Amino acid sequence: MRFLDTPFRQALAVLVVAYVLIDFGIPYIPPLFGVDSAPVPNTVVLQYLLTVLAGLLLWVSDNDERWTEFKRPIQEVLVRPDKRVGRAVLLVAVPVLVAFVTWGRVKPEVTAPPSFRSIHPAPPRSITFQGETMQLAGLENPLRSEGSLEAHNEVGKRVYYQNCLPCHGDALDGLGHYAHGFNPAPLNFQDVGTIAQLTESFVFWRVAKGGPGLPREGTPWNSAMPAWENLLTADEIWSVILFLYEQTGNDPRTWEEAGAEEGEH
Amino acid sequence: MRSLIGALAALVLLAEPALAQEAARRYGDFPVIGSRAAVWVAAQLHLFFAAFVLGVPMFAVVAEVIGIKSGEERFDKLAKEFTRLLLVSYSATAVWGAVLVFALVTLYPGVWTYLAEIFDVSMWVYVGIFFFESATLYLYYYGWDLWKEGRAKWFHWGLGILLNLWGTTVMFIANSWLTYMMSPPAEVTPDTAPGMVQFWSAFANATWMPINIHRLIANVVFGGAIVGAYAAYRFLMAETDEERAHYDWMGYIGNFVAISALIVLPFAGYWLGREIYEFNQQMGITMMGGFMSWLWIVQAFLIGVLFLTGNYYLWVGMGRIPGAERFQPYTKYMLVVLVLGVIVWATPHSMIASRDEISAMGGQFHPFLGVLGVMSAKNTAVNLMILTTFLSFLLYRRANKEPVVGWAGRGTMVQGALFGIAALVVLFYGVYGYFVPAIVRIGFSVYQVLAVLSTIVAVVVLDVLMLRGATSRGEIRWGQMPPRSQYALFILAVTFTWLMGLMGFARSGIRQHWHVFEVMRDTSVDAATPALGYASVVISVCVLIFLGMVAFIFWVGGLAEKPIITKAARGEGPHAALQPAGGD
Amino acid sequence: MLLQNLKIVLVVLGTLGLYTWVANAIPQVESEVPAQLSFGADVTPEELVSAGGQLFAGAGACVTCHGLEDRAPALLSDYGGAGPIGQRCADRVEGMDCKEYLYASLADPYSYLVEPFGPIMPDQRINLSEDQLWSLVAYLQDQGGEVTVTGADLQSTQASSAGGAASQGGGGAATAAASGPSSDATEATAVMQANLCFGCHKLGDQGVVLGPPFDGIGSRRDAAYLRNSILNPNAEVPEGYQEVAGLMPPNFGQMLTAGQLETIVQFLASQR
Repeated sequence: MRFLDTPFRQALAVLVVAYVLIDFGIPYIPPLFGVDSAPVPNTVVLQYLLTVLAGLLLWVSDNDERWTEFKRPIQEVLVRPDKRVGRAVLLVAVPVLVAFVTWGRVKPEVTAPPSFRSIHPAPPRSITFQGETMQLAGLENPLRSEGSLEAHNEVGKRVYYQNCLPCHGDALDGLGHYAHGFNPAPLNFQDVGTIAQLTESFVFWRVAKGGPGLPREGTPWNSAMPAWENLLTADEIWSVILFLYEQTGNDPRTWEEAGAEEGEH
Repeated sequence: MRSLIGALAALVLLAEPALAQEAARRYGDFPVIGSRAAVWVAAQLHLFFAAFVLGVPMFAVVAEVIGIKSGEERFDKLAKEFTRLLLVSYSATAVWGAVLVFALVTLYPGVWTYLAEIFDVSMWVYVGIFFFESATLYLYYYGWDLWKEGRAKWFHWGLGILLNLWGTTVMFIANSWLTYMMSPPAEVTPDTAPGMVQFWSAFANATWMPINIHRLIANVVFGGAIVGAYAAYRFLMAETDEERAHYDWMGYIGNFVAISALIVLPFAGYWLGREIYEFNQQMGITMMGGFMSWLWIVQAFLIGVLFLTGNYYLWVGMGRIPGAERFQPYTKYMLVVLVLGVIVWATPHSMIASRDEISAMGGQFHPFLGVLGVMSAKNTAVNLMILTTFLSFLLYRRANKEPVVGWAGRGTMVQGALFGIAALVVLFYGVYGYFVPAIVRIGFSVYQVLAVLSTIVAVVVLDVLMLRGATSRGEIRWGQMPPRSQYALFILAVTFTWLMGLMGFARSGIRQHWHVFEVMRDTSVDAATPALGYASVVISVCVLIFLGMVAFIFWVGGLAEKPIITKAARGEGPHAALQPAGGD
Repeated sequence: MLLQNLKIVLVVLGTLGLYTWVANAIPQVESEVPAQLSFGADVTPEELVSAGGQLFAGAGACVTCHGLEDRAPALLSDYGGAGPIGQRCADRVEGMDCKEYLYASLADPYSYLVEPFGPIMPDQRINLSEDQLWSLVAYLQDQGGEVTVTGADLQSTQASSAGGAASQGGGGAATAAASGPSSDATEATAVMQANLCFGCHKLGDQGVVLGPPFDGIGSRRDAAYLRNSILNPNAEVPEGYQEVAGLMPPNFGQMLTAGQLETIVQFLASQR
């Protein structure tokens, strides 16, 4: 590793490795747990890289020797006569890079700009469902303990395909026909970060109340999910929830070891 | 001074109660920036100076008593130099206090009259104490060389204590006025005439004590940070090695005081937050989950900067300690822990992402990073960062020492084990937190903090015992510090000052459109509470004015300065520097 | 020396600039102030309801708790099987009619706590003016009930409240007989809200522009065209909206009743 014998090159190498790890490595982590991979948003990549860069600057400068060593190649390129070519390349490349980045940021695009969303909503302790108060805390799917699971599952399947399909998709992956039109996008149930993280009562709350039922803390956003309590019965919702878990192979969080604090979307 | 004017103004206005009622609906108008910003800037600057003026005497007396006990003259000199800074900042505090009072009287006469009618007596007392405080300060500073020996020295030290008592009392009184605006007692309604408000219940209101304690600690942090920046400036401008050595040492102590006090500050903040929730749910929700929730993201960013910079200063400082090269290879691992900590600590739960990214992620949660965005991960990160910072201090302290006690090897292993156990406890509860309901999880943060704090205490005790009579590998070469480290001190001071302004905005902003929460409504044009972006601009301007004035005042103070360093202030005793003011 | 000072100033300014930038890069939320309302004696129920609706959803901060349902009972939707608040308000307390009950529970919430919720609601008289309180009462009555608040009510509490401003001209003879508050417009809006039309279409300050906005649509399209577009959204895609073609669900024919459909169509056609 002769190449890595100066602090400057080491720092550069760490930065490159960090970038590769963050931008390409992190997407490989979810599959280890059997979840679909997902890219890291650019804003987060930038934030992480800036943190790493700050750390690197601290490292190269917390010791006098290293700091001098680190600065030497930079100084050399800037002043030494025999590095004229490198200097010229640098003097052209840096402005071009800056210009390119700036252009990339201001060029007209068809996609909407990144949207901010506030903190995830916390579920209420109880809701009113079609006129009855339901305690969400500790609530289990009642269909799991009565009747045949298969029958419920069939009902759930029917309900899903009649109502949920257009947005949440044939594969329950949030890629239905209309999905690309919505922001926030419909939930991908296959993702381990969604229903697998939630209790069934939380899912029930979100299905029953939909976008309009989001608490004010969840703003600003504009989920297009309808409030299904107006269209479905409680049993239909419970059975479609059953179907979601059965079909994706996920297990709901149970109350003994799970918190329903994390939100959806 | 400011209170004198205040009391006078109050008297004039009180003479005509009918007029006062009329005034309740009147507001002045300040050109260009508006009334709100004018009062905001005046109050913030007054508070910056006041915090400095209250924080510094605390460690001045501690430095003085260390000097008396150890017989080391440089501590005495340090205390005296602190006091000199105090003297020159004192008038700035009073000036800004006067500006604040005039701003209130002219721009918010209604509010002022209302408060004056309730707090008139305490305002008079305030003025009185202010006189005594000034007198004590002058005696303390100008009597320094007079009462130098024996019992007279102790008398002089007693004056320092008295100075602190006056200062603290003054702050407690003023705190009651502003906490009353936040949390007036329940029996006060919009219809209650101010004259009918029970004085003591208004004075000792729900958030008074939490704010007192919170400010007391924060003043120490702030004072330490500003002293550090002052020392850094003098260091950079120094012309002789003696000066450099002295100010290097002073900067180290300022930084030490600031960081040590910072570690206990969150507990005071927690208490304050709990009192706010108990006083009024709505207020608490507004603060943590309502329109202010993004403020805590900014706070997280600032705290990340504090951790990185504070550790960096220590690591660079190791370069001037013989024997520190033993430990320097480890700093990069600590840096890795800190950088990872900051990354986790600042990971947003829901990401800012474009439409394409959101659809690729399947929602605004990232399947992996979303896991890092929740409380469990953040508590774990911050506790590990505290632990790492403490380790930095420990290595710094140990750098040039060679323990002589027989059990030193075992002792070090026990210390290491304690660190390991604390880190494991923190990690265990951090990971376990994902598998329990939120209610249980909140309790976990207490265990994590307790593990860290008890480790800190136990390790310090062990360390003190272990290093008894330790031999030295050489004295700290005070003054041989690269300028980079001094810029770190500047960044620390700016960050602390800015953070103070930000938290002040949070405290004051949660009242929303009320002068006195749910009692006296703000009907002015500026009633709406501004967004964070605007607030940050005002805070930055305040910090800039403050630092500019401090620079000017210290420069002026330095003009008439007798050379405070006579001989070499460096290295009188190997371990002296490691028992700094306010430390052990 | 000068260079040194300059460096320090640059470090300080850079740090400050960074923090200011970060604070400006995150979402900017300003806390609203409840607007001061003032109505005369001849105020109409519609005016009150609309003002109350804005207060309820906005500066009154009612939805912080009501609507979330773990802090307070739901008001706009059903709670406890008794229907929305406008339906159940008259039955809450013996001897109090709907109007009296609503006003009293705004003014003195602790005395009218609903099990099992805790006493966290502040006295709304602190936060809101009399006119605002009455507009909220009117808005809540409108949720499934009949609006009976009149200008006289506003006058009565104003006269009795301690710091009340001078009574606003007129006198007792308040009228505002209109009792059918749900005009076609409010009903159409309600139907459209329930069917999430504003998820893609904009009307006034509601909704977002994903599909064609409804503002002034009556001047561009006739009722027949609108009806057809709702029932068969993809039959004709207007210029400029090809990208979102196919997005609108084609099943509104099944989801709306004929009456609802007609209400919407006529309402939209009247948007000129």
